[in-house]
Amino acid sequence: MTPGVVRAIAVSVFRESVRDKVLYNLVFFAVLLIAVSYLLSQLTAGQDIKVIKDLGLAAMSLFGLFIAVFIGIGLVSKEVEKKSIYSLLAKPIRRQEFVVGKYLGLLLTLFVNLAIMAIAYYAVLGAVAWVDGAWFRPHWEAPAVDPALLKAIAMIFLQLAIVVAIALFFSTFSSPMLAAALTFGLYVVGHFNADLKNFETVVDSKPVAYVARALYYLLPNLAPLDVKSEVVHAVPVPATYLLLNTAYAVVYISVLVSAATFIFARRDFK
Amino acid sequence: MYAIRTEGLTKDFSIGFWRPRAYRALHGLNLEVTVGETFGFLGPNGAGKTTTIKLLMQLIYPTSGHAEILDRPVGDVSVKRRIGYLPESPYFYDYLTAEELLDYYATLFGYDRGERRRRVSALLDQVGIAGERRLPLRKFSKGMVQRVGIAQALINDPEVVFFDEPMSGLDPLGRREVRNLILSLRDRGCTVFFSSHVLSDAEALCNRVAVLAHGKLVANGRISDLQAFDIRGWELIVSGLASESLEKHRPRVQRVTPLGEQRYSLELPLTPGPEQLLRELTDSGAQVVSLNPIRETLEDFFVKKIAEQESERWSGAGEPGQQS
Amino acid sequence: MTPRQQTARFVTALAVMLAVAVALQVVRDRAFAFSTVDRQVLYVSNAEVMRRVALSYDALLADVYWIRALQHYGGERQKAGSERHYDLLYPLLDLATTLDPRFTVGYRFGAIFLAEPQPGGAGRPDQAIALLEKGVAYNPNKWDYYHDIGFIYYWNLHNYEKAADWFARGGNLPGAPFWLKSYAAVMLTRGGDRQASRVMWTQIGQNEESEWLRKMAQMRLAQLDALDQIDVLKRIVDAFAARTGHRAQSWEQLARAGAVRGIPVDPSGAPYTLDPDTNAIGVATNSDLWPLPTEPAAAPELSGNAPPVPR
Repeated sequence: MTPGVVRAIAVSVFRESVRDKVLYNLVFFAVLLIAVSYLLSQLTAGQDIKVIKDLGLAAMSLFGLFIAVFIGIGLVSKEVEKKSIYSLLAKPIRRQEFVVGKYLGLLLTLFVNLAIMAIAYYAVLGAVAWVDGAWFRPHWEAPAVDPALLKAIAMIFLQLAIVVAIALFFSTFSSPMLAAALTFGLYVVGHFNADLKNFETVVDSKPVAYVARALYYLLPNLAPLDVKSEVVHAVPVPATYLLLNTAYAVVYISVLVSAATFIFARRDFK
Repeated sequence: MYAIRTEGLTKDFSIGFWRPRAYRALHGLNLEVTVGETFGFLGPNGAGKTTTIKLLMQLIYPTSGHAEILDRPVGDVSVKRRIGYLPESPYFYDYLTAEELLDYYATLFGYDRGERRRRVSALLDQVGIAGERRLPLRKFSKGMVQRVGIAQALINDPEVVFFDEPMSGLDPLGRREVRNLILSLRDRGCTVFFSSHVLSDAEALCNRVAVLAHGKLVANGRISDLQAFDIRGWELIVSGLASESLEKHRPRVQRVTPLGEQRYSLELPLTPGPEQLLRELTDSGAQVVSLNPIRETLEDFFVKKIAEQESERWSGAGEPGQQS
Repeated sequence: MTPRQQTARFVTALAVMLAVAVALQVVRDRAFAFSTVDRQVLYVSNAEVMRRVALSYDALLADVYWIRALQHYGGERQKAGSERHYDLLYPLLDLATTLDPRFTVGYRFGAIFLAEPQPGGAGRPDQAIALLEKGVAYNPNKWDYYHDIGFIYYWNLHNYEKAADWFARGGNLPGAPFWLKSYAAVMLTRGGDRQASRVMWTQIGQNEESEWLRKMAQMRLAQLDALDQIDVLKRIVDAFAARTGHRAQSWEQLARAGAVRGIPVDPSGAPYTLDPDTNAIGVATNSDLWPLPTEPAAAPELSGNAPPVPR
């Protein structure tokens, strides 16, 4: 796999996202955060910091999700449908390089998006903290400009990386509509996945419990990557936990992307 | 070494969702194109020409048989460095400018920045869109997109180029330019493989042609060698022909089409030859504007060829050969 | 390599990678007791907010929280007795019943297991009553909730006046069973006694909706039987002590003396314990019936000597 080719394709994905004005969502994000923080400062007394933290993280997760799904499902299918894939594959690139390049390109877009959001986020938190003044600060569970928030943001990025891999996988063989439905479906399942693990305590039949546990391990398990509540309530999140999650995400993504390249390499482009 | 070689290349598509049937788009194609040739791949719409080219580009995989380009199997990445491809009615990313698109493709070949800039500029000049290099492709007309397509096919100075219906959608000026381009490629020693359903393109450019119909090769060889494309008549355009003279010679003419004041297009049968009538008309004072053979169209040719094939099969002669 | 071999190799590689992913998860889950339940409640502790967030999926979410409540309860039950905290039982049941105010089972499960003292339950009758009062607010004609509140006042809090009040109100509702009003009368006249408890638990045990409720009632009735049996055994043991001048040291001794026939077992089949020093009799700690409930005592002023308290 030639790094130069993969890089070129990844950059082209990023460029397309930018030209598609995807990054305008950042403007909306910033406006939302600033507006809400201003409104809240007029209402609640000193608890606005928690709400802003929650809202910011939730918005990052949600906006990122939409970008991941709606661009992800089109990554491959759009080129095939518009037939720009014809002239591309005649160039000295392998189909695998194409798929991996596309994936990394969307990841790059998400990374930039999230990074800019994080900066805006911290800026707003800092402003609110400065305005609120020394009265309320001791009552906060965690400091306003809390570096631990980065842990939550990093985990959000990992979750989105998995979602993109899912969207990419479905986009190699099904229509955009179906791919979107399946990806959203798996996203929701991935959040309630942890409930499957403890099915044994609720369900009487052993086989059902085993199936539930197997599903827990095999389906994308997104809930453990959600550390938003811990971080906001200043519950410590150990580095080992983050590392294990990262390792899991990397392996799971590799499975999905490999499967996607496998399917894509065998397709006929009529 | 052959530039392009196929052996028994066959492609089936499955039609239908619930009970898929196999539809054979290409039957055991055997083809050889030597290096430096300009080869015309002809056939009516739906004959399987695009299928063949896609098989050669490995956009689709063969059901059986195999193909080689420059003695390497099709799909080999190293061989893709030495070929160029223009798809039929191409689409390129319309949010990019012409310059950016060519630069992107050039990156895939691994050229460094200076090299890329050089090649892109040269190509934009060569295909005549240097003025629109900064324009996003969504603003390009069809003819301009075709030119961009040709440019991207040549970005790597290929040894073999594949053009799928390169003239489609072009106005006469555009067609003339593409013809000239193909000629210049031939002069450079490039092997040109292009598909078309227009005979006159092949006549003007090709050394050899192959003719495809319903997925089968029905003719293959030098144009002059093929007994096909028979002349079936003559078209004589004369001016200054007085009506008495016209009436006198009318019985020998199949059809008369008036074109203006004393100017007519006369359709003459194949036999007797037109020389006699020509002499008599010029003796009577008319001027010859043009004399052109009316050829069988490609369509007529196929129908004839296929009818021949069918009758051969029914008479029990076995599978017909592929040379006519 | 044929395409088939290639595919086989590829699929094997994928399976291996998936196995690695699973292994990583197992390691992570073991090292960090991760629980969706805790973090969910931490994050959204306000049930009303949750209801708005849930959009039109509140019934489904109610189910999810109900399942989590059960898992939480089950999970806590598996811990050693002193470590059971059931902290999240109320928030989870509160979420489930706010999302779906008609979620009868949720209210009634909470009624029993929130009120139940440690280690069998959360030991928070106040939470149980709060939950049920919410149920009453949404469903003012559901006599079941009135019954459950009255029962908690009776069985757990020993507050017979309040119990009577709730039983009466419930009994007056259209569709209420005939016996509910009589509970109110019993409260006022006899306060708590074993017979009244037996009647009430028998009635609960006839509930057709929940298996666990029936099982609970059966166990309670068995416990009441055990209490009866213990009373009988106590008389025997005390008689022995009076007769011989010293306390019996074991059932075997009593058996040899002819006071009892064999080692007495409780209704679940486990032998009763006899304390050699105090002669207190109880059920064995490994018996299904352990621990025995603290019975509502007969209210002294209602033991038949004082006039009934006017309604």
